[in-house]
Amino acid sequence: MIELNDVSYSYEGIPALKHIGLRIEKGESVALMGVNGSGKSTLLKLLNGIIFPDGGEYRFAGESITRKKMQDPVFSKRFHQRIGFVFQNSDTQLFCSDVYDEIAFGPRQMGMDESEVEKRVEDCLALLNIRDFRHRQPYHLSGGEKKKVAIACVLALNPEVLVFDEPLNGLDPRTQRWFVSFLIQLHESGKTLISSTHDLEMVQEIAGRAVLFDENHTISADKPAQELLEDTELLKKANLIDEYYHRHPGSGHQHFHIHPF
Amino acid sequence: MHIPDNYLSPATCAALGAAVVPVWAVSVKKVKKEITRAKMPLLGIGASFSFLMMMFNVPLPGGTTGHAVGGTLLAILLGPFSACISVSVALLIQALFFGDGGILSFGANCFNMAFVLPFVGYFIYKFIKDRVRSEKGEYLGIVIGSYIGINAAALCAAIEFGIQPLLFRDAAGQALYSPYPLSVAIPAMLIPHLLVAGVVEAAFTAAIFAFIKKVSPGTIYEGAKEKSKAVYGLLAALILLTPLGLLATGTAWGEWGADEIGEVVSNGKALGFIPQGMQNGFSFEAMMPDYSVGGIPEVAGYILSAVAGVAVLLIVFKIVSSLKKNTHGVHE
Amino acid sequence: MPEWLLKDENYQPLPDRDTFIDKSILSLLRILSRIRAQSGYTGGKYSVHAPWKVAGTFLLIVLLSLSRNLWFLAAVGAYLLAALSMMPAERILRILKTGLVIAFFSFLVLLPSFFMGNRYSLVMIPLKTLATVTAVGILSHTTGWHCVTGALKSFFIPDIFIFVLDITIKYIVLLGELSLDLFYSLKLRSVGKNTGKYSSLSGIAGTLFLRSKEMAEDMYSAMECRGFTGSYRVRRRFRFTAADFLYVMVHAAFIAIFVYLG
Repeated sequence: MIELNDVSYSYEGIPALKHIGLRIEKGESVALMGVNGSGKSTLLKLLNGIIFPDGGEYRFAGESITRKKMQDPVFSKRFHQRIGFVFQNSDTQLFCSDVYDEIAFGPRQMGMDESEVEKRVEDCLALLNIRDFRHRQPYHLSGGEKKKVAIACVLALNPEVLVFDEPLNGLDPRTQRWFVSFLIQLHESGKTLISSTHDLEMVQEIAGRAVLFDENHTISADKPAQELLEDTELLKKANLIDEYYHRHPGSGHQHFHIHPF
Repeated sequence: MHIPDNYLSPATCAALGAAVVPVWAVSVKKVKKEITRAKMPLLGIGASFSFLMMMFNVPLPGGTTGHAVGGTLLAILLGPFSACISVSVALLIQALFFGDGGILSFGANCFNMAFVLPFVGYFIYKFIKDRVRSEKGEYLGIVIGSYIGINAAALCAAIEFGIQPLLFRDAAGQALYSPYPLSVAIPAMLIPHLLVAGVVEAAFTAAIFAFIKKVSPGTIYEGAKEKSKAVYGLLAALILLTPLGLLATGTAWGEWGADEIGEVVSNGKALGFIPQGMQNGFSFEAMMPDYSVGGIPEVAGYILSAVAGVAVLLIVFKIVSSLKKNTHGVHE
Repeated sequence: MPEWLLKDENYQPLPDRDTFIDKSILSLLRILSRIRAQSGYTGGKYSVHAPWKVAGTFLLIVLLSLSRNLWFLAAVGAYLLAALSMMPAERILRILKTGLVIAFFSFLVLLPSFFMGNRYSLVMIPLKTLATVTAVGILSHTTGWHCVTGALKSFFIPDIFIFVLDITIKYIVLLGELSLDLFYSLKLRSVGKNTGKYSSLSGIAGTLFLRSKEMAEDMYSAMECRGFTGSYRVRRRFRFTAADFLYVMVHAAFIAIFVYLG
């Protein structure tokens, strides 16, 4: 589905990604880990066609994604429909004056008739448990509620790949739990998920696979999530944890856990 | 509508600058009284909002885009006095750091876009809104206010351009600054504003207002209820009279003889000397060289070209080597 | 999970004319990168202090505007080129690019007047514009924002005004990044034909405004917590270095040349 071959990117001379090689298959759930500034967010922008590699190649569903190709409106719109991006800060994602219009924004553009649009919006509202907000203004919702609306409006496009930038940031513990189970649900319904996070607990629950970025903007590990989390030496090297970090021995899960099914 | 330097004579710039100073003073005073200290940072943040608004590309029919100034919008949202200060600061940053609009013409640009635009726009909006007391009346006010506001500003700019060739010519009759007379400047500025920019401004203003009113109606500026009429009447008169006043003072300025010019107050400072070129009159032919005319000694000419030549070589060398480095970087 | 979410969308988009999104993104990016670069400008060892630079640039602009002599322009031009040649290449390119674009635009605007018999403006105004924009460019590309705004203090500009100016620059970056993300989000979600372009755009601008207002209130609270009482003092130490002296002499020389040439 997604293929990065030797991709590099720099912001005005300051490197953010160096020689990244990564393959993500359809239906996988991958977590990108790494300290602040290691290049995770840049990679997510690149995956969504907001920026383009300085060197190397990015292929999505077999097609090379380049600045030139994305200038073709039909190609770029189709691409954006297939991959959805939930921004870290939901404030930057919402610009309509009520929740219903916000979610209907995508479906309406796709040329659906209004009854179909309504079905999609209602489904999304139900799925995210935000039916009561239908006529509220996104601007005045709380952080967690905004996040839900932002996810709903991306979901309404029915993308094949969903990209989340630090999805748990700024959410209260209960909403975090709800969110983790929601991601599991999405994954089980066949979506490809890519999330950046430094929340180690979340990684092992939602992602089958974890990719670790080090401070040199390269990938230092790419293995099953469970395995990576056990490799404390590697995590220390990437400065994600310090010597005080410990996992409770014996059982892998020592924290609260809700199974959605 | 950002007037660059050298299109308006320094005298015009000074006159318009002098006209804006009292507006600023009144605005600062008003703002202090109206929005209390608690909202002082709002001025700066309002200015950044205004600056960014001018960065937004508004879609036009046919797939092209244009810009809105948003002066009337700010006046409706923050009040005309805050809008005046915010737009002025935004214009200053554009002039100082982005080369958008001149330094000397800063006063003129403020006059047009930070004074005339928001005040005319707001005055008309208020006038209509107070008479047609319904939601329709409010939007009618916004649309007409912002449309006329931006066109009034464009008209002022056109007049400023247009009086230049009337007032500032050399002995040979050549215009020294903007060469287009009123008959050219006014239609050239107004036609695009009447047909396109005004429509963009009005549509954009109404749409943003609608959004804010729906999402957060409490944030819109209420305005002083009492004695607003007198203030607006005064402002309207001022706006109408200023171009005339400008024309009058400008004439005086333009007609000064060379002996009087030593006492001219320009940009707040007495010039204190008589430019020699003015005494001798000016001839375009004399300016174009055989490289030793125009009042410059031959040696000085050589030095000048040597300095320029060395500088150009250095610049070319630096740019070429930096380009080389860049291409290397990409291929590595 | 609803049915539609379980299968891939079979969707063929229609083209739409929404270049305004890309253009807005570009102009915001340009502004942000410019401001970021600017904040890193320090004068270096031989730098002239900002108040002199601001005064000198202003003087040059006034003289340029008053002068009718091509030789005076040439002298200023040579000086500006010399100053440029001491700067790094990428800044030279930026400054010259802005100047040349504006000068060329001036030339186009004035071209018709040439056929109305005005030869003077066609030559002088684009050249003067080039010189003026270059002079301002040199000032703003060698001096940090805060040095320039701080320098205004030396010219009796009220502190409150400088305070507002400083906040403005800071918030252009903050709000600029916010609007940039909003535009990105609009772009990513614009997967078809948008029939309400104005309402999308006004949603962005409206959100920006509301956020601005909130930020302003937060900022005041934060300032008050730190003991702000309504007046703001800008401090500046006065120093006069050899570089300053040279700078002042060069500009004094321009006054002399101006008087000599007219």
